[in-house]
Amino acid sequence: MNASRNPRISARIVRPVARPVVGPIVIACAATLLAGCGGGAQPDRPATEVKMGLSDAGCEPSPASVPAGPVKFEITNTGSAKVTEAELQKDGKILGEKESMTPGLSGDFTLRLDGGTYSVYCPGAAKDTWTLTVTGAPGQAPPAPAPDANLAAATQRYHDYVVSEVDKLVSDTKEFTDAVRAGDMAKAKAMFGPARTHYETVEPVAESFGDLDPDIDARIDDVRDPGQWTGFHRIEKALWADNTLAGMAPVADKLDADVNTLKAKVATGTYQPAELANGASELLTEISTSKVTGEEDRYSHTDLYDFQANIDGARECFELLKPALTAKNPELAQQLEARFTDVVDGLAKYKVGSAAQAGGNPRYVDYSTVPEDQRRKLADAVNALAEPLSKVAGQVV
Amino acid sequence: MPTARGPVLSRRGLLGGAAGLGIVGAAGAGLAGCGSRHGAPGGQVVPFHGAHQAGIVTDVQDRLAFAAFDVTTTRREDLVDMLRTWTAAAEAMTRGAPVPGDSSSAEMPPADTGETVGMPPSRLTVTIGFGPSLFDQRFGLGPRRPTEFADLPALPGEILDPARSGGDIAVQACADDPAVAFHAVRNLARLGRGTVVTRWAQLGFGRTSSTSSDQETPRNLMGFKDGTRNIHSDDTATLDRYVWADVAAPQAWMRGGSYLVARRIRMFIETWDRDRLGDQEAVFGRAKASGAPLTGKTEFDPPDFAALGRDGEPVIPEKAHIRLAAFENNGGLRILRRGYSYTDGIDPRTGTLDAGLFFIAFMKDPAQFVTLQTKLGSHDGLNEYIRHVGSGLFACPGGVADGGTYWGQGLFEG
Repeated sequence: MNASRNPRISARIVRPVARPVVGPIVIACAATLLAGCGGGAQPDRPATEVKMGLSDAGCEPSPASVPAGPVKFEITNTGSAKVTEAELQKDGKILGEKESMTPGLSGDFTLRLDGGTYSVYCPGAAKDTWTLTVTGAPGQAPPAPAPDANLAAATQRYHDYVVSEVDKLVSDTKEFTDAVRAGDMAKAKAMFGPARTHYETVEPVAESFGDLDPDIDARIDDVRDPGQWTGFHRIEKALWADNTLAGMAPVADKLDADVNTLKAKVATGTYQPAELANGASELLTEISTSKVTGEEDRYSHTDLYDFQANIDGARECFELLKPALTAKNPELAQQLEARFTDVVDGLAKYKVGSAAQAGGNPRYVDYSTVPEDQRRKLADAVNALAEPLSKVAGQVV
Repeated sequence: MPTARGPVLSRRGLLGGAAGLGIVGAAGAGLAGCGSRHGAPGGQVVPFHGAHQAGIVTDVQDRLAFAAFDVTTTRREDLVDMLRTWTAAAEAMTRGAPVPGDSSSAEMPPADTGETVGMPPSRLTVTIGFGPSLFDQRFGLGPRRPTEFADLPALPGEILDPARSGGDIAVQACADDPAVAFHAVRNLARLGRGTVVTRWAQLGFGRTSSTSSDQETPRNLMGFKDGTRNIHSDDTATLDRYVWADVAAPQAWMRGGSYLVARRIRMFIETWDRDRLGDQEAVFGRAKASGAPLTGKTEFDPPDFAALGRDGEPVIPEKAHIRLAAFENNGGLRILRRGYSYTDGIDPRTGTLDAGLFFIAFMKDPAQFVTLQTKLGSHDGLNEYIRHVGSGLFACPGGVADGGTYWGQGLFEG
């Protein structure tokens, strides 16, 4: 096990509420790629090392220029109490990061980088953004070994799924924001839960795009300045807690713009099999930490919509990986199938309305009416699923 | 936290892939220091295999992590699979090795949660017991239920919280280090996910009994020595008579086993601390400082229950705890006590400490506890200061023989 992974783990334990701005799946993916290459027919060359020392002054990468290919970033906090994280970014997308690096700690992450200009970002430093140049033409990095046909199909279909979900997100959000701009409280309330579902199905993907996730989906605890708070939950508070939509039109406009930005970004997105597996796990983590407790949708109590959407998104990943997984580990595939069914059955008890009404999106009871012992049953089922699901990534790389 | 983890992680790096071997090495290194502190025969590793489960007559370790589980699967084979996995994991952890499996793949969560890497085995024992509810219709175990094994009846002096009582399976992990004990329960809970859910859990600190004449009798949170006359591990005749299930027990799977009674006994320590010393000593029947019975001079003097004071009243009062609990006054009846102090923060209703004794006792027949508690719960002077708030009864099967078997195999097979 790589010791450097631990700061990240501890950060997540200490801050269970805080939403990771970065999709950990991206990091995992990069590592996956390398592991796959190492065992492949064409041995990969060793990673080029880049050292970064975190200090109050910054996080200068050394060397500042490396050839395309695998790059291992070694980060050490040399004694700064205020600069404790470093990210590698390209065009605003976080590719890898180390956080909660308190003084004396060191860690690393490894990525395969194409030629181009990257930034190293260390929030809190006197100079917080540094440049890393990767030489070699874009796309010149040695390609990963071709995944098997099942997995190649899975990743392509996952791309299509993400695009389709975000398309629905854009249109449903528009319906929601139109109601907000029109001051139609009832319509806006009715659309809040359903519109979010197409975000919650693909949230780990959205999370990989830097600030987009907080802009769209931050909760009040996630923002430093409540005056700068935007997105779904800001409007949720207006609808259910403030009981007025006054001042919400600009927030609605920005939400539309943000989901459209997401749409543009996912159009060109590509995925690795491990990203699907880890993304599915990530969705279950979402449920375990913030949906079961009712803190995600604390004003509207529409948590069960998110819950369903997270499960749907995870299940999509699983279904796409299932042929490859079944070939490799049929017992695990079977166990996951059964446990997905348990969760889906558990959730079905809370659907309301007729089947005809449910033709579009199913509707769910107010989560505040679900008693503690029933929430516990949902949590138990999700945790029972999450444990074997966490083993899938290791089977598909 | 991160700084504290640093050295552990680097130690792990040192051990590298040969984790099992490396940890055994670390255990050896730790032996000298810890062994002398505990004076523990057998050193740092308590053998997992044997005729009896470890953790019953084992010299009582300093710390406890206890958990009760409800079985959620309806498939008997899932339950058996889990018990196999648990047995292998418990055996490994007892040696100080990580949970078996891959802990180094970057693509998977490590098989072991990792927090005890680099720590000595700390005399970890992991003991399993099955609750009466496991013998209902779900797994067809009804015919395997020993006749003496039924739910405890309602007993005087208890107001039980269902959320802290019962359970289909219990795991008692004891170790000289709290992290090691907790790690064992945490990892079993994780391995069991989907087959069982944790119903309740309890951490204990400060053992309140000794099971060896080598160990000094510790004190409970009331400041008294309450385990002076416990059964010792070398007293095999008494163990055979009162603790171990008979070698010819009708249910073969219980042979060499024992019944575990757990009671969460809340102490009202604030009011106790306001009680005058003379009354505290009268309640226990012992001197607080020396631990001697009120009729004796030193801790191990046998109490003289017949002795009268100048006022003509018994020196050890009628309601004194040691009088009511003494085997002389209960037809010789004895149980093996193995309890721990606990605290779980503040009682929000009263602002008082939620603290007390997590009582654990092992016995041949649950009726032994019922007899004693029926008497104590009705008459004990201590009742003013305590209340039983949680309860569990579990049948701990005999030990796992070396090689190939799993906890409770005799219950599910044969």
